[in-house]
Amino acid sequence: MKQKTQVEDIDRSFYDFRYDEDAQDFFDSGITPDIIRGISEEKNDPDWMREFRLRSLEIYSRMPMVKWGASIEGLDVDNIVAYIRPKSRMNTDWDSVPDNIKETFERLGIPQAERESLAGVGAQYDSELVYHNVRKEVAQSGVVYTDLESAMHDERYAGIIKDHFMKLVPPSDHKFAALHGAVWSGGSFVYVPKNVHLEVPLQSYFRLNAKGAGQFEHTLIILEENSSLHFIEGCSAPKYYEAGLHAGCVELYVGEGASLRYSTIENWSKNMYNLNTKRAIVQKNGRIEWVSGSFGSHVSYLYPMSILNGEGASAEFTGITFAGEGQDLDTGAKIVHNAPNTSSYMNTKSISKSGGKSTFRSAVTVSEKAAGSKSSVNCESLMLDNISRSDTVPVIDVRTDKCDIGHEAKIGRISDEAIFYLTSRGLSEEDARAMIVRGFADNVSKELPLEYAVEMNNLIGLEMHGSVG
Amino acid sequence: MSEILKIENLAVSAEDKELLHGVNLTVGEGETHVLMGPNGAGKSTLGSTVMGSPEYRITAGSIIFGGEDITAETADKRARRGIFLSFQNPVEIPGISLSEFLRNALEQQTGKRIKLFEHKKNLAAAMSVLGMDSSYADRDLNVGFSGGEKKKAEILQLLMLKPRLAILDETDSGLDVDAVRTVSKGIEEYRRSAGGTLLIITHNAKILEELTVDKTHIISGGRLVREGSGQLAFDVLADGFEKYIGEE
Amino acid sequence: MTASKLNILPVPTFSRLGVNYVSRDTEGFETSRSTSDITEDRTVTFYADDSSLPVGEVTLNVGKGVKLKLVQVFDRSAPYVSKLNVTLDESAELELVQLYIGGSDTVSEIVTELAGARSKVSTVIGCALDGDNKLDINLIARHRGRKSESVIDVSSVLKGQSVKTFKGTIDFINGSSGAKGSEHEDALLLDNRVRNRTVPVILCEEENVEGSHGATIGRLDERHIFYLRSRGTSEEKIYELMSRSKLMKAVGRIGDEAVKARVYKALGWGDTDE
Repeated sequence: MKQKTQVEDIDRSFYDFRYDEDAQDFFDSGITPDIIRGISEEKNDPDWMREFRLRSLEIYSRMPMVKWGASIEGLDVDNIVAYIRPKSRMNTDWDSVPDNIKETFERLGIPQAERESLAGVGAQYDSELVYHNVRKEVAQSGVVYTDLESAMHDERYAGIIKDHFMKLVPPSDHKFAALHGAVWSGGSFVYVPKNVHLEVPLQSYFRLNAKGAGQFEHTLIILEENSSLHFIEGCSAPKYYEAGLHAGCVELYVGEGASLRYSTIENWSKNMYNLNTKRAIVQKNGRIEWVSGSFGSHVSYLYPMSILNGEGASAEFTGITFAGEGQDLDTGAKIVHNAPNTSSYMNTKSISKSGGKSTFRSAVTVSEKAAGSKSSVNCESLMLDNISRSDTVPVIDVRTDKCDIGHEAKIGRISDEAIFYLTSRGLSEEDARAMIVRGFADNVSKELPLEYAVEMNNLIGLEMHGSVG
Repeated sequence: MSEILKIENLAVSAEDKELLHGVNLTVGEGETHVLMGPNGAGKSTLGSTVMGSPEYRITAGSIIFGGEDITAETADKRARRGIFLSFQNPVEIPGISLSEFLRNALEQQTGKRIKLFEHKKNLAAAMSVLGMDSSYADRDLNVGFSGGEKKKAEILQLLMLKPRLAILDETDSGLDVDAVRTVSKGIEEYRRSAGGTLLIITHNAKILEELTVDKTHIISGGRLVREGSGQLAFDVLADGFEKYIGEE
Repeated sequence: MTASKLNILPVPTFSRLGVNYVSRDTEGFETSRSTSDITEDRTVTFYADDSSLPVGEVTLNVGKGVKLKLVQVFDRSAPYVSKLNVTLDESAELELVQLYIGGSDTVSEIVTELAGARSKVSTVIGCALDGDNKLDINLIARHRGRKSESVIDVSSVLKGQSVKTFKGTIDFINGSSGAKGSEHEDALLLDNRVRNRTVPVILCEEENVEGSHGATIGRLDERHIFYLRSRGTSEEKIYELMSRSKLMKAVGRIGDEAVKARVYKALGWGDTDE
């Protein structure tokens, strides 16, 4: 028998630093209409938004708890602090961000990343956006990148937001969507006008610092005709003994001929419940590209959905999920072909290690209206030991004859031959395994901007070697 | 001439079946040896065992390389000592480019960082010897390579890694005349630039034509049945094995 | 009225897709049940038609080293529920051939337990649906034995407004080291009103296994059409030929000549000699 390389759990200390919260900043735990009114008042919501929140709360109380593969028994929603007011108002000047918050983001590399390669940055600390900045030339092109609360009060955008907010993901979609509708706070609003192409990406970074807190940020992106954008979202949280909840919502409206790439590297701490809802609707000849890396959290439910609603619209989903010790990551994607000649391509990889469980789910639906559509799904899973679990549950639902749908899936392990081949050229077995896993994750890393690809490779290295660098 | 490889009384099993029954074989530093035998005789088993394949279990005997007993060592340690095996069926590694892989392997073997620019220059030079298109450097290791391209990529690794002992396991099989010529050229270049030792497993005289073969070993049924001069290899290829195996 | 859940997907998924189970009220339905231990190599052929009872349950235990070939033809227009449970001992082999011809509402579940080491299951399924035909298949290959192997090959031709769901699960239980499972589905859709759902599941809690599934769904490959056209075949004939070639995978495995002749007739293919 061959010796297995001992692979230790990831050393998360880099992400685990945190600051003590002041008790008076918390709203009561649990969620009641009074709490919702309190949040609404604190945020100075317009009337329609206050009503929306209360209506969502009603739906939330009515709906049954989500029953799914991954258990969310450890999650006590009534004990999750819904809204934490940070000690600072929104800033556009990095220097006026409070020191402890600033230090958190500096340790995570946010301002450096902005200086180097981004068109704009938003940073959310717990519930509120604390920093937002957009390059002057980007702002001059008419691109709006701001927090949703400010935009709601700006008469130029108030109408747009009212027309789009939770229209793609209604609160009745599922229990956590309803919860989100009631307590949402922070997040981003991006508007790209007709014919504007942003060459450099916009980035937002979410950080959940407070203990037992929930983060419910809302991202609303609207791309007008023939525009393009790359939006990057990064998430992390330090580790506490109480479980945290992330129930964000992302709504993407991609106009005719427009093209949006939405990249996420998620590295929440390993006791987070990441119950996120992401959805895009794509008009004629528009395109949505998702790039998604899931590394953190205790339990994840994440299935970004693309609705191809106009002729010739296309979607591409590239994802990787790495489930290590104590993790149950239920991820995948949904694609709805709802117009003629639409196309979709899905390429996902999942890795299970040290007792981790990964479940890949997909749903490709081709409606009667989608004649001439094409779809190709490719998923691969890698088992790194014998105590982990990997499930693949794809569904293909086709209601037209004029289509070409292909699906391929594979599961296996790193072969002994591959290890022997690499070790025969001088690599240690541990390095050989890490190299193969890195190559396995190549579908995602090659789609990411360089610094994110490097971060992802580091995360894989940490998972494989059990120590930093 | 000093011995670089000494195999003593080696017995090897795989899945409870003994494949080699007490093989003795010695190769001097800088020499070129040929290992021949009918299908299933144990040629590849011997080559893979010297490299340290976990597929085979050594039940008796020892392998001495450069005066040290490496019988229990893993393949990566042996590689760092300077043993190289060209695989009959090299493994495809998606996501890792040939260039990146070789740089990594070289750094592992030398323990030194290798500058990217320098690495690319050396790689380009080696590729030109083999007439390989430079685009192969950036392609994923062996992925989608044809049989011939895979063999060339193995010889390219031989040229880059410059091992002390190269075991070429039917590197010429399944290749057309031109490709065999290219592989021979690569082997010559290896001899010239690294002065290394060769143990060639082959069925083909073509690959030997340009080389000075010092010794020939014939293996049959897991036993070495005959040893002779370089000429023996050509005689066997001309007359067939039966005549030589039968004389034991 | 009590509807019971049948054909339950081993791991539930998005409920809106309606693939997690089917509900049927089978209370009071006459059921034919049979249980057998197969102790020597055999071929068993079974033909369900409108004279059969509406529920058929078959349980088979295939003994050590025994080879069983089971051919099941479902050629019945009235609703039908079929349950097949096969447990395979060490080195036992099952060759399962199933052919579904029409059917207003057929629910079929196949559970194969690869309990013994080196046990093997090879399944070839053909489905020919038209009009209002409705078919739901739930196949589970559960690998428990070391080096057990399963191969699942499904070919369907859908016309009219027929609805078909094929759920195929390969389940590698911890301990099934060295097991291999593969699944392929090929669905040819010939009408704009058909609905085809494919759910190829792989569950895995064992490292040393190989599992794969593939599916191709939709219209005919245009290169095939072009090739056949270039040899002078009419479009109508091309569809007929291709439908036939897809179903032939299963039909060709039927050894019994009388059964084969009946199948040809049911499919409207004329003589077996053609």
